[in-house]
Amino acid sequence: MAFIEVKNLRKVYKLGNEKVYALRKIDLEIEKGEICCILGTSGSGKSTLLNMLAGLEKPTRGDIIINGTNISKLSEKKLARFRQENTGFIFQSYNLINQYNALENVGMPLMFKGVPPSKRDRQAEKMLKLVGLESRKKHRPNQMSGGQQQRVGIARAFVAKPNVVFADEPTGNLDTKTTDDVMRLMVRMCRKYGITLILVTHDLEIADYADRIVHITDGEVTGIEDHVSSYDPEKDNEAGASEKNAETERSAEKNDPGQTEKK
Amino acid sequence: MKIYDMLIMCLRNLWRRKGRTLLTVIGVVIGSCAVIVMISLGLGMSQAMDNMMETWGDLTAVTIYNGGGGGMYYADGGMSTQSSDKDKPKLNDEALAMLSSIDHVSYIIPKMEVPAEMVTVVSGKNDRYKLTWANIVGVDLLILDKMKYTAEQGEMPTAKNKDSALVFGSEIAYQFMDTKKHGSAAFTYKQQLPDGSWSKPFIETVGGTIKIAINNSKKQNEDGSYQYGGKGYEYKFTGTTVLQQDPLWETPNSLLIDIEAAKKIISDYNRLNNVKNAGNPEYSQVKLSVDSINNVEAVHKAVEELGFNAVSMAKERNEMQGQLGVIQMVLGGLAAISLLVAAISITNTMIMSIYERTKEIGIMKVLGCFIGNIRIIFLMEAGLIGLLGGIIGTIISFIISAVMNSLGSSGLSDMFGIYTEGGGQVSIIPVWLVLLALVFSTVIGLISGFYPANRAVRISALEAIRNE
Repeated sequence: MAFIEVKNLRKVYKLGNEKVYALRKIDLEIEKGEICCILGTSGSGKSTLLNMLAGLEKPTRGDIIINGTNISKLSEKKLARFRQENTGFIFQSYNLINQYNALENVGMPLMFKGVPPSKRDRQAEKMLKLVGLESRKKHRPNQMSGGQQQRVGIARAFVAKPNVVFADEPTGNLDTKTTDDVMRLMVRMCRKYGITLILVTHDLEIADYADRIVHITDGEVTGIEDHVSSYDPEKDNEAGASEKNAETERSAEKNDPGQTEKK
Repeated sequence: MKIYDMLIMCLRNLWRRKGRTLLTVIGVVIGSCAVIVMISLGLGMSQAMDNMMETWGDLTAVTIYNGGGGGMYYADGGMSTQSSDKDKPKLNDEALAMLSSIDHVSYIIPKMEVPAEMVTVVSGKNDRYKLTWANIVGVDLLILDKMKYTAEQGEMPTAKNKDSALVFGSEIAYQFMDTKKHGSAAFTYKQQLPDGSWSKPFIETVGGTIKIAINNSKKQNEDGSYQYGGKGYEYKFTGTTVLQQDPLWETPNSLLIDIEAAKKIISDYNRLNNVKNAGNPEYSQVKLSVDSINNVEAVHKAVEELGFNAVSMAKERNEMQGQLGVIQMVLGGLAAISLLVAAISITNTMIMSIYERTKEIGIMKVLGCFIGNIRIIFLMEAGLIGLLGGIIGTIISFIISAVMNSLGSSGLSDMFGIYTEGGGQVSIIPVWLVLLALVFSTVIGLISGFYPANRAVRISALEAIRNE
């Protein structure tokens, strides 16, 4: 059984008397650790699919099974718990909370899980180090550039070591150079932790980072292609020295029993 | 999410919107201040009223007077006022047992008056000094303290000497006249001498010997007085105490002896003068002391159900309390309106803040925050506004209360139409009122936050994060 299974998924919006078919019939399987890109033009239904995979929207029909849990049938409370334990989010518009500094923003998912502040800050700090923003931990989002904000967003998505990270046009607001940096960072993080990444974009260049590309047109899957990324983190010499350091720290972390603690 | 994380989040949110928080808190401050001050004024009035009534009589007492004021002891009989209503229960020992078994009666104080025409009270050599009007009252001499009488001279009687002890009211010693003199020389008056001490009566009070002789009603002297009963009908008492004048003027013109001695005198008189059908001696007055001022009315009713005529302050107090209650309700109502306005402003503030934080709430939801936690955060914020307002309001109320009390009873109490006798407080803030105010303002905050919190919970995460 695949890590993520989407069966016969449909989503219909009602606009007045008219029915709008956002998703007609989607069947999809995504394996653990895979980087999957959902590629489509605007209005193709790709964001709707992502939202449903993340449990933010209820499907009109069909099932979404992630790691053995049918999330389309979960109550609001169980869904929240599911998100705490299994998912991370990266948004196009970063969606950091402006009143909190970078460290607090990164630690937020841990706070919702009930991790005590000292441990939370320690883990968040490691994450910030990994994304190369250690020196900015006391800065607020509005004191940072778009690229930096998205790095904070990535740190926040990965801090709780989720099983799957959802990214909705994560580079939509970034320039080409920064886009590459951010994409590489995301891929490296996923590979390191064995995390599944589901990426929604309309940008073919970004799709190049994926293991699999799912084409969506007008709410239907029009093609699934396996893909070998031209980017291999193993051969990436540009990866920051800080990341290498963090790598050694991470192996030490494995011995830390508190790391796996959940609420 | 841990409680302290939620609390810190709340405090940061309140701090982030300092100005608005402050304004909302001020609303609660005004409201809680109004409530506390108004209630404290009501309590002050109520206290002043009780103080005032206490000068009219003991508020916790129910007093039973025997119908005819001891009239049945008239020697020629038939004059008893009791004869007209025979079904009336007699105020005798049986009645005492019944009265003392009434709920909430802590103790009873029976009094037995020895009618003045029964005895002659004399003192000094050859019975030179004679009491003009022998007002003798039998009471339990051991509980004079309990009856709130205090000694001016001498010591209160003890179990050892009570049988022959005689306690003077503050004035009665001056009512002995000198039978050897005529005109004004035969009398003394209680007056303060230039050196500050009191003038001396003819008789010796503390330590002096006083003779109470039973009259023979058949042998009348020329001057209208009766002859003594002779040997065996004379009792010697020793003066032990002079009482201070009591506020209700019950004792100044009385001689107090032990109630058993009084009973004996009355029965001796009846024997000497062949009074028949006297029955058990009846008490002239029984005072029931009630454990709490609030039970006085119930005891009063119970006493009347037994068929006695009772007097207590319960009815007067209830009437006055009732009037006060109306004033208090009006004041409280006015205060409550300002608290209601404060509550609405809390709701308004919270709704505004939720509009501003829609995106933040959405992000929190997407990141896995339980909706219960979101509700708690907003309720906590509203509750904190209420509590903060309550605390500041209480502090300010204490200041207002102190100012009003220092302005004194003169100005303010007149304004509210009450009198405070001697240093009464206009405004009283007891501990329970402080606690009540704090709890109440917090609850008001929570109630005001209920609707906004539910709104926050219902915000769609998806809409919120799209909201740019």
